[in-house]
Amino acid sequence: MSDLSDDTIEHLARLSRISVTEADKKILYQDLNRIVDFIDLLEQVDTEGVATCDFVHKHHKHLLREDKVKDMLPRDEFLKNAPDHMGGMVKVPPIIKKE
Amino acid sequence: MYQKSAYELHEAFVLGDISAVEICESFLKRIEKLDGKVGAFLQVLSESALEKARELDLKRKHGKPLGKLAGVPVAIKDNIHIKGEPTTCASRMLANYNAHFDATAVRLLKEEDAIIIGKTNLDEFAMGGSTEHSAFLATHNPWNLKCTAGGSSGGSSAAVSARFCPLSLGSDTGGSVRQPAAYCGILGYKPTYGRISRYGLVAFGSSLDQIGIFAQNSKDLALSAEVLGVHCKHDATSADHPKENFANHFRDDFKGLKIGIPYTFLEDLPDESRKSFESSVEILKKSGAEIVEVDLTILKYSIATYYILATAEASTNLARFDGIRYGNRDPHAVTLDEVYDLTREFGFGFEVKRRILLGTYVLSAGHSTSYYKKAQKVRTKIIESFEKAFESCDLITLPTTPTPAFELGSVQDPVSMYLMDLYTTTANLSGLPAVSVPSDVSKGNKPIGIQFIAPSMQDAFLIGCAHAFEKACPVNEQLPEIAKENV
Repeated sequence: MSDLSDDTIEHLARLSRISVTEADKKILYQDLNRIVDFIDLLEQVDTEGVATCDFVHKHHKHLLREDKVKDMLPRDEFLKNAPDHMGGMVKVPPIIKKE
Repeated sequence: MYQKSAYELHEAFVLGDISAVEICESFLKRIEKLDGKVGAFLQVLSESALEKARELDLKRKHGKPLGKLAGVPVAIKDNIHIKGEPTTCASRMLANYNAHFDATAVRLLKEEDAIIIGKTNLDEFAMGGSTEHSAFLATHNPWNLKCTAGGSSGGSSAAVSARFCPLSLGSDTGGSVRQPAAYCGILGYKPTYGRISRYGLVAFGSSLDQIGIFAQNSKDLALSAEVLGVHCKHDATSADHPKENFANHFRDDFKGLKIGIPYTFLEDLPDESRKSFESSVEILKKSGAEIVEVDLTILKYSIATYYILATAEASTNLARFDGIRYGNRDPHAVTLDEVYDLTREFGFGFEVKRRILLGTYVLSAGHSTSYYKKAQKVRTKIIESFEKAFESCDLITLPTTPTPAFELGSVQDPVSMYLMDLYTTTANLSGLPAVSVPSDVSKGNKPIGIQFIAPSMQDAFLIGCAHAFEKACPVNEQLPEIAKENV
C-alpha cells in the first residue's frame, strides 16, 4: 500500500503552485493513494539493463534550425492575450512588498 | 446531402451538382437544430465558414483550381489553434484566449479549401475519456444520449457521428481519437508519432500526443491523412517522410496478410466484447487473413506506464499556465505568489489538478527513479515487444475498448476510468499508427470498434487495411437515429 500522507499532498500542491482546499485535499488523498498503488504494478517488470526510452523512433533525426530570431509575434498581438499590461509590457503584481 | 461523406461532397461540389454555400448551410442548420441534444460544439464558426463557402463558389465559377477538400466542412477539437478564433481547451484557464496562428494541420486543411465549421468539446486539456471533465459541458453520444461520446475528443467524434460534418480533427495521447470513434460508430485514426505535425496543438504529453482524424469511412480518412501527413519545420518531432498516395494502398481483402493477436493481453475482456471481437476475427479469416498469436504480455503494464509518463509530461507542460503572459489571472490575487496559486486553483478543473499532482509526484526527488525512469524503461520494452511481434505478422488487431460507451456519470473511480484506455495507450507508448473501425453494434444498440495497429510509418497500409475491413464488415453504414433526422 502506498502511504502518501496529507503532508505529501500539500508538498506536491506547493511544488505544482496550486492551492488546494481542505475538501479537495481529502479526495486527492484517496485518489492519489489509489493511483499510486496501481502504478506500483511496474515493480513486477524486470528492467535490469534496459535503456530508458528517450525518443520513440530510434532513427529520427531532430532537425535543429539556426539560432536566429524569426516568426516574431507582434507585441500588440501578444498583449491581446495577456491578463494585464501597461506601456507595452506584461504587468505583474509587486514581488517585493513595501514595508 | 448531410449523409454524404467528405469525398462525395467534394465530388458533388467540383462537378457543379451543389454549391459550397448549400453544403455549408445544410450542416450549419443541423448543428443549430440538433447540437443542443448532443453538445458536440463549443463554438460554431458560421460566419467564417459561410465566407469561405462563398469564396469557393466564386473560385469554381471562375474556373480557378480547387483544393482536395474543397467544399468539405471540417470540425476542429478546441485544443488546436485556428488563427483569430478561441482555443479554450475546455478550460476556465483559457476561456478568453484567442489563437495567434493556425496549427499546421489547420493551415493544410485551409490550403486544400476545407470549410472550418467549428471548435469541438473535449475533456479539459484533453485529460479524460468522457468529456465529463470539460469545464463547459458534457458531450452526449449520438447513439444513446444518456451515454458518453467518449473522450477526450468526444465533441469531434459526436459531430461526425451525428452528421454535423463529415470530417473532424481530434488529438490522441492515450486513445482520445480511437476510443470516442469506437463509442460513436465511426473511424478514428491516430498516425505514427510525427506523421502529422503537432505545431499549434496545445501540448499535454508531448512524447505521446498526435493529431488524429475522425471520418465516416476509409476513403475520407485516406483523403485527409494524405493532406495532413507532411513534414513540418515548426515541429522538431515531425517525421521527414515522403508524401504518399493513400488510396493506392486500398485493399479489397486480407489475402496474403498475417494478422497478429496478443491473446494473453485480452484475458480480461468482458464476455460481450469478447464474443464481438471473436466474430470480427472470423470476418478477417473469411477475408483471407491468416491469424497468428503474438506475445505482447508486457502490455498489461501499459496503463501504469502511460499514467506515469503522461502525467509527468503534463505537469511540466501545464506549468506555462501561470496567469502571467496569457490565459486568465485570478482577480483576487494581490501578490505574485497568489497570482500563481489562485490562478491555477480556479483555472484548472479537478482531473487536471489530480494529474498535475501525480505527475509532480512521479518526478519528485526520491521517486523519479522508481516511477518516471522505470516507466521509461518499460516503454522501451513495449516498443521492442512490438518490433518482435511484427517479425511474425503484418498487422496487429485488438478491440479498441473493453466495453461500449458507458452512461455519463457512471464511472467515478479514476483508476477504473484510466483502465478504459487499456487497449489504446499501447499505440501511443510505441509511437505506432492505429485505427479504430466500427465492427459491431451491441445488444444495447451501442457501437463497438476493432483496432488495427501497423508497423511504424505504415500509415497508408493501415488505412488500406481499414478499407478492407469496411468491405468485409460494412457496419459503419448503420447510423444513429439523430443522424437520420432531416432538419
